[in-house]
Amino acid sequence: MTDHYLTLKQVSVRRHQSLLLSGIDLRVSKNEFVGVIGPNGAGKTTLLNVIAGFEKFSGALSLFGEAQTWRRPRQTRLRVGYVPQLLQIDPGFPILARQAVMTGAVGRLGLFRKPGKQEYENTLRLMDMMRVAHLADRPLGQLSGGERQKVSLARAIVQKPDLLLLDEPTANLDIAVQKEVLKLIDEISEREALTILFVTHDFNMLPERMRRAVMLKGGLKVFDGKISAALTGNELSRVFEYPLETFERNGKRFICYG
Amino acid sequence: MVESILQTLSYAPIQRALAACILCGASCALLSVFVVLMKMPLIGVSMSHAAFAGAVLGMLLDINPFVSGFILCLLTAAVLGPLSDRADMAPENLLGILFSFLMGVAFLGMGILTQTKAGALNLMWGSLLTLSNNDLYVLALVTLVLTVFIVLFFKEIRVVLFSRRLAASSGVPERVIYYILLFMTGAVVSSNLATVGGLLIFALLVQPGAVALQLTYNLKSFFLISAATGILACFLGLVASYVFDIPSGASVVLAATVLFALAFVFSPKRRVVRPIERKIQDENDRR
Repeated sequence: MTDHYLTLKQVSVRRHQSLLLSGIDLRVSKNEFVGVIGPNGAGKTTLLNVIAGFEKFSGALSLFGEAQTWRRPRQTRLRVGYVPQLLQIDPGFPILARQAVMTGAVGRLGLFRKPGKQEYENTLRLMDMMRVAHLADRPLGQLSGGERQKVSLARAIVQKPDLLLLDEPTANLDIAVQKEVLKLIDEISEREALTILFVTHDFNMLPERMRRAVMLKGGLKVFDGKISAALTGNELSRVFEYPLETFERNGKRFICYG
Repeated sequence: MVESILQTLSYAPIQRALAACILCGASCALLSVFVVLMKMPLIGVSMSHAAFAGAVLGMLLDINPFVSGFILCLLTAAVLGPLSDRADMAPENLLGILFSFLMGVAFLGMGILTQTKAGALNLMWGSLLTLSNNDLYVLALVTLVLTVFIVLFFKEIRVVLFSRRLAASSGVPERVIYYILLFMTGAVVSSNLATVGGLLIFALLVQPGAVALQLTYNLKSFFLISAATGILACFLGLVASYVFDIPSGASVVLAATVLFALAFVFSPKRRVVRPIERKIQDENDRR
C-alpha cells in the first residue's frame, strides 16, 4: 500500500442538500501525473479541496501511507503543494512577486526563523525557471494573469512538496500563455519528480507528460484510465454531454465540437 | 505662547491624554492593517459594537466596563471566527445581524440604566481628557502585546494577509494567527472605549490602513505608515479638541479622514503607468 501516495476510499462531500462528490475511489502512485477532467459542477475542485485538506468529507483518505482527515499535521501539509485557479489579489496589495513566492517557504521554515540565503536562492532559481525572475521586485497585484500564475507555480514548488495540486491553472489565460504555462508544468514534472493532480475542464489544453485521466461527472467518477483512452469522441461526448469528435494530424490528436 | 503650551502640558490630564493619543492611534492603526488587507471592516464594526454593548452591560451590572466589554468581544470573536471559516455562508449578512443585535443590546442597557447616562455616552464617543491611570496602563499593555505579536510573527502574518487558504496549504498555522487577531481586535477595541469610544473607533480601525494602502507596497512600511497616521490623527484631533473646544472623538475621526483624503489625492499608486513606460521599465529590470 505504501507505494500509493494518495488513496481515497468512498469519499463523499455533502453541502446543504446536494452531494458534491459521491463515493470516489482513487489511487495515485508516486510520480504519476493525473488529469482530473470533467464539465463544470462535476466535483473536480471539490476533490482537489478534499485532498488539499480544505474541505470536510466522509470516507477514508490517506496521504503518503497515513490516514488523514481535513485537519492534518503541519508535516503532511508541507508535502502537498497547491496552486489555485487564479491568484486573486488587489492591485495595491503590499506584496512583491518574490515575497509572494517566498510565502511558500514560510511553513517549512517554522516559527521564529527567518528565511536564509538558501531560501532566497531557491526563490530566485524557481522564479527564473518560471521565467518571472525579471518581475521579482514588481508588486504582485500589477502582474498580468499569466505572470501571476507563474509566480503561483513557483510559490508552490518553493514549498518542496511531494504532491502538487493544480486547480485549473490555465483558466482565464489567453492561448499563448496557456501553452506557456502548460510547458512550465511539464518542466516542473520532469525536473522536480513530483506527483501531480491537474484539474481542468479543457481537454484541449493538457500538459504532455500527463499520462492518466480521471473523469468526473455530477460528483461521480466515470472514467479512470490512460489519457489516450479518455480523449476519444465517445468518452468525451458521454462525460461532457455534447457531441465531440477527435481526429489526428501530424501525430497530434485534436478534438472538435460542432 | 510657548509658555502657555508648556503650562497646558504640565497638567496631568493633558499628559495622560497625549499618552493615550499615541497608544490609541498606534494600537488601532496596527490593527487597521489587518482590517484593510483582509477586508474585514464589518468584523471591526461588530467588535466595536460588542465592546460598547459589553461596557454598557458592565455599568448595569456594576462590573468594570473594560472587563465586560472585553468578555463580550471574546464571545463575539468566538462566534465570528468559525462563521467566517464556513464556505457555505455569506458572513456579511450574519455580521449585519450580529452588529445590529449588539447595538440593540447596548441601547437597551442604556435605556434601563438608572444612574446618569453621561458615563455610558462617554463609552460611545470616548473622552480623552477624563482618562484614569488604569485606562492608560491597560491601553499600554494591549498596544505592547499587539506590537510584539506583529514583530514575532511577521512572516506568518504576511502569508495570512496574502491568502489564508495558501497559508493553510503551506503549513502555516493560519487559524491560530487569525484567532489571535480576533482576540487582539477585542482587546484593542475594548481598551479604547475610554479614549475614542465604541462608535468612533471604527474610523481608526479602517482609515490608517487605508492611508497606508495608498502609499506603499512594502508591508513593513505599511505597518509603520499606518501607525504614524493613527498617532497623528489622534494628536491632531486632540489639539483641535482643546483649541476649538469640540468633542475629542469627533475631531480625531475628522482628522483621520482628512489624512486619508490627502493620501488618496497624492497617492503614487494611482499614477497611471503607460504601457510604453512599463515596457521600458521591464527591459531595465531584465538587464
